[in-house]
Amino acid sequence: MSDRGQREGVGDGASASREVARFEVRLWRCLDVDGNALAPLPAFAGDLDHLRRLYRAMVRVRTLDARAVALQRTGQLGTYASSLGQEAVGAALGDALSAADVLLPTYRETLALLLRGVAMREILLYWGGDERGMDFAADRGDFPHCIPIGTQVTHAVGVAAAFHYRREPRVAVCVVGDGGTSRGDFYEGINLAGAWSLPVVFLVVNNQWAISVPRARQSGAETLAQKALAAGFGGEQVDGNDVVMLRERLSLAVERARRGEGPHLIEALTYRLADHTTADDASRYRPGDEVEHHRQREPVLRLRRYLTRLGAWDEAQEAECLAHCAREVEAEVAAYLATPPAPATAMFDHLYEALPAALAGQRRELAEKGASAPGAGDHG
Amino acid sequence: MAEVTLVEAINLALAHALGADPNVVVFGEDVGVNGGVFRATEGLQRRFGADRVLDTPLAEGLIAGLAVGMATQGLRPVAEIQFSGFIYPAVDQIVNHAARLRNRTRGRLTCPMVLRAPCGGGIHAPEHHSESNEALFAHVPGLRVVIPSSPARAYGLLLAAIRDPDPVIFLEPARIYRLIRQEVADDGAALPLDAAYVLRDGGDISLVSWGAAVLDCLAAAELLAAEGIGAEVIDVATLKPLDSATLLDSVAKTGRCVIVHEAARTAGFGAEVAAVLAEAGLASLLAPVRRVTGYDTVMPLYRNEQAYIPDVARIVAAVRESLQFS
Amino acid sequence: MKLFNLPDLGEGLSEAEIREWYVARGASLKAGEPMVAVETAKAIVEIPAPWDGTVAKLFAAPGDIHPVGAPLVGFEDGDATAPPAPARADSGTVVGEVKSGGGTVREAPAPIAAGGAGFKVMPAVRALARRLDVDLGVVTPSGPDGLITAADVERVAGVLAEAGPLEPLRGPRRAMARAMAQAHAEVADVTVTEDADIGAWYPGGDVTLRLIRAMVAACRAEPALNVWYDPHALGRRVLKRVDLGIAVDTPDGLFVPVLRDVANRAEVDLRAGLERLKADVRARRIPAEELRGYSIILSNYGAIGGRYSDPVVMPPTVAILGAGRVRDQVLAVDGKPLVRPVMPLSLTVDHRVVTGGEATRFLMAVVADLQGG
Repeated sequence: MSDRGQREGVGDGASASREVARFEVRLWRCLDVDGNALAPLPAFAGDLDHLRRLYRAMVRVRTLDARAVALQRTGQLGTYASSLGQEAVGAALGDALSAADVLLPTYRETLALLLRGVAMREILLYWGGDERGMDFAADRGDFPHCIPIGTQVTHAVGVAAAFHYRREPRVAVCVVGDGGTSRGDFYEGINLAGAWSLPVVFLVVNNQWAISVPRARQSGAETLAQKALAAGFGGEQVDGNDVVMLRERLSLAVERARRGEGPHLIEALTYRLADHTTADDASRYRPGDEVEHHRQREPVLRLRRYLTRLGAWDEAQEAECLAHCAREVEAEVAAYLATPPAPATAMFDHLYEALPAALAGQRRELAEKGASAPGAGDHG
Repeated sequence: MAEVTLVEAINLALAHALGADPNVVVFGEDVGVNGGVFRATEGLQRRFGADRVLDTPLAEGLIAGLAVGMATQGLRPVAEIQFSGFIYPAVDQIVNHAARLRNRTRGRLTCPMVLRAPCGGGIHAPEHHSESNEALFAHVPGLRVVIPSSPARAYGLLLAAIRDPDPVIFLEPARIYRLIRQEVADDGAALPLDAAYVLRDGGDISLVSWGAAVLDCLAAAELLAAEGIGAEVIDVATLKPLDSATLLDSVAKTGRCVIVHEAARTAGFGAEVAAVLAEAGLASLLAPVRRVTGYDTVMPLYRNEQAYIPDVARIVAAVRESLQFS
Repeated sequence: MKLFNLPDLGEGLSEAEIREWYVARGASLKAGEPMVAVETAKAIVEIPAPWDGTVAKLFAAPGDIHPVGAPLVGFEDGDATAPPAPARADSGTVVGEVKSGGGTVREAPAPIAAGGAGFKVMPAVRALARRLDVDLGVVTPSGPDGLITAADVERVAGVLAEAGPLEPLRGPRRAMARAMAQAHAEVADVTVTEDADIGAWYPGGDVTLRLIRAMVAACRAEPALNVWYDPHALGRRVLKRVDLGIAVDTPDGLFVPVLRDVANRAEVDLRAGLERLKADVRARRIPAEELRGYSIILSNYGAIGGRYSDPVVMPPTVAILGAGRVRDQVLAVDGKPLVRPVMPLSLTVDHRVVTGGEATRFLMAVVADLQGG
C-alpha cells in the first residue's frame, strides 16, 4: 500500500481514507436446539402460563396446517402453504403486536393471523378460492395474504406513514421472506422507512428456501439483516425457532417504533419443513437428510423440551392440547366445507364502491345465465 | 374567477383538496420544495407543510405502494408519477393491489388513491417523456382512468378523483398544460366522473377524443363548419368506466364517427370505443368508424413527433373520407 | 437403502402407534400392498407400500409411537445416499393444478375458403332498404368497391314507385316464371332454324295438323328428340309414344296441354282433340293431368306472328319446335324465281342429350314432310 500522504486532506495520518461507518449484526438466541437455556431468559418467560400459551398456539397452527394439507390432497381445498417448522414466527408476532397495530403478512403467517382474530375457516376459505376469506370478521385492520412477493413492504411503509402523519402510537409490522428481500419493493420500502424514520418493523422470515432457490443463491450478503443497514436503520438476526427470544426481540422493536424511535429489521432464522405449497415437491431439490436435520431443531419440539424439563408440560397436557386443537380444527373445517360458494355475481360486488353503469349490463348477463350457483362440491 | 392554464387548475384543485380535507396528502418526486417539474404542486408545501406535501425518494413502485398503504388507513393520497413514461414500475402495485384491494377483501380494505402523471408528447422532450399509455390502465378492472382536456375539467375532475372512494389514474396531457387558459371558479365543485362531455353540437359526424387531441378536434370542427359540415365533438374524459350512452346517442344522430387519440393505434382505447359503437350502434352507422391515432411505432424523438401526433389535417381528412363513404 | 417415512395421515397428528406389521425383512412388495397398520387417536390406518421393492429394514416395532415424517421402512435397491423417492407424482406446477388432457391435436391449417358473396351495404342502408321494400338484388351499387349506398336504395325506391305497385304473378304466370327459370338454368339449349316451302298444300291445308304430321315423321326419323332426360342419373328414356305438348296462348298465360299419341290417331281425331283442348284451356277447365306428360312440344306462334325464335326446352323433354308465320317469299325453283309460301321453323334442343346432327336431321325431316304433298 503506497503512502499518498494527505494530498487533499482526506486522510488522517498516513492513510488516504478513513472509516466513515461501521456496522455490526448480532444473532440472538436464548434456547438451544435441545431446549436448554443458553442465557437468562427474558423476563416474560418467567411466566410459564405465557410460555404454555405460546406453545399451544404453535400446536394449533400445526394441527390446522396438517389438516389443510390433507384437505388439499383430497380435493377439498386448493393450493395451500403450510408453515410447518416456522410456527414460532406466528406465535411471536401474535404476542408482540397490539390490537391497534397493523400486520402485513406474506402468505405463510397463518398463526399470526389466527392470533390476531382471523378465523380458521377464513384461512380455509381463502385457500379454498373464496374472497370472503380475506374479509376478516374479527380482524378489520390487518392486510390479507400477499402473493406478489415483497409488494407488501411498500404498503407497510404507507401504513406506517399514515400512523406517523396522524401521530398515532401504532406500528406497521411487515413480514417478508428471504426471497422477498431480493425484490425492488423491499429495497424501496425499507429505504423510505429509513429516510422518513417511520414506525415500521420488518420481520424477514428466512426459512432458507424460496421455493427451490436456497438462501445461498438468493443473496451474496452474509446476513439479510444487514440490508437494513443500507437503509439507515438497525438489523439483527434472531433464531426464528426460539419463540422466546423471537417474541422478545420483536416486542422490543415494535415498542421502539411505537415510541417514535424509527424502524428496525429482524431476520428470523428458521427452516421450511413443508413443501413450498401443496403443489410443490421439495424432495425434487433438497435432500431428505437436510430436512431431517432441521426437523430436530424445529420450534415446537424445542419449546416442548424446555417446558418438559421444567416440569411445566407433560404427556397428559400434550394429549389434551392435541385433542383440543383437533376439535377446534374439525369444527372449523366443517364450517368451511359447509359454506356454500358465493354467487358468481359476487365478482361484481366490491369492484368499486358502487357498480358503475357501464358494468350493469355485464352483471345482468351473468345473473341471467343462472350462474348464481356454481358447480357443486366446488371446494377443490 | 380567474383565467388559468390546465396545470394551474391542477394546482388549484390540489390546494383546495388539501385545505378542505386533512386526510389528503400529496407526494412524489420533486413535488415538495421544487413544486413539481411542471409546477403542478407549486407553493403547496409552503402552504400546507412538509408533512402533507412530501418529496419521496426516486422509486415509482414505492410511490404507488405507499399510496396503497396510506389509502387503507383512511388517508387520501394524491401521488405523482413524474412522467407517464415512468409509471411502468408502479403497474405492479396499481394492478395487483390498488385495483383489487376492495374486491379481494370484500370491501374491508379500500384504496381511495389518485395517481397523477403527465402524459403525451409534443413538448420537445427527450425520449421516454412523451408516452400515452392510458389503454394499459383502462384494461384493468377496478380502476378509473381520467384524462382532462381543459383547465375547467382538470379542476373539477381532479377534485372528483380525490373524493372518489376508489383508485383513479389521472393522466394530464403535458402539451396543453399551458396552451390554453380558461375561467375556472375555485369553488371546490367537482365534475361528474364516468361521464363524457359534449363540447360542440353537430349533426354530420361525431368526433370522439380525450386529452390534448380534443383541442385538435375542436379546431377541425371549426374548419369543417366553414364548409357547412357539422362535427359534434365529445371529450370522453373518463375512459373507464366509459360513458357509452353519450357516444351512442351522438352516433345515432350523426351516423358517422371518427375517434382521435395520440396513443398508438393497435389496442388503443379507440378500439374499445369502436367496439362499443359496433356492438350497440351498428344500425346507426352510415360509414365505418375511423380512428385517427398515433402510429404503431415507438413514439419518435422530438424531431419527428409532430408527424406522429394526429393533427387537424389528418382529422379533417378522416372526416371527409367518412362523409364520402356513402 | 431407499427410505419411506411415516406419511402425514391427515388427522393433525404428529405421530402414530405401530399396531401390526404385515411384512418382515426380505419381503417383496408391490406398490399399493398393505405394509403396516398404525393407530391414530381416531382410527387404525393401513399404510400401503409406496413402490415395488424388497423390505430391508423396519424402523419401528409394534407398540412404538412413531413420529410422522420419520423413516418407517427401508427398501433394498437404489442408492443408499439417494433421497427417498417422492411419494407422489410430479404435479408439474407450484400452484393450483395443471390438468393433463387425453387427446392429441391434429391440425391442418387451411386458408379461408371462398364463398358467400353478399351485398356490400352498411347496416343502416340495409335497414333503409327493408323499410322502403327494396330488394337489394335489384339495386345497382354506385359506392366504392361495389357498395350499395343509401342514395342507390332511394333511387331504386323512386323508380319502383313510379313504375307502380308490384303485381304478384299468379297461377299460370307464376308457374311459367318458375318453370322457365328452372329450364333456363338447366338446359344447354341449341337452336337450329330452317324454312319449309309449303306451297304443295298451302293455302287450304290444316297448318297445325300438317305440323303435327311432320313432327311424327321427324320423331320416327330421329327418335332421340322424343326423349325424357334425367340429369341426376345421367340417363334418358327414349319414348315410344309421341305425346305432343301444344303451346296455347291465353290472356291468363301460357298453357301446354298434351295431345296424346299423335302418331296413331286419324286427322279428324287429332283436330277434334286439339279444339277440345283449346276450349278447355280457355275456359280454365282443363284437368291437371292433361297438362302433363308431353314428350316433345310444338309452339305454333306463327298464328300470331314472328319468324324465327329460340323457344325454351322444358325438362324433362329435350326438344321444342317453333313454327313462325307463313310468308310469301321469292325462292329459286328450278333456277327460276318464284313466289312461294314459306314457313319459318326453329328447333331448340337440349344439347346435354341431343347432338347437333340429331337436331338437324329431325328438322330436315320436318321440312321434308311439310314440303311433301
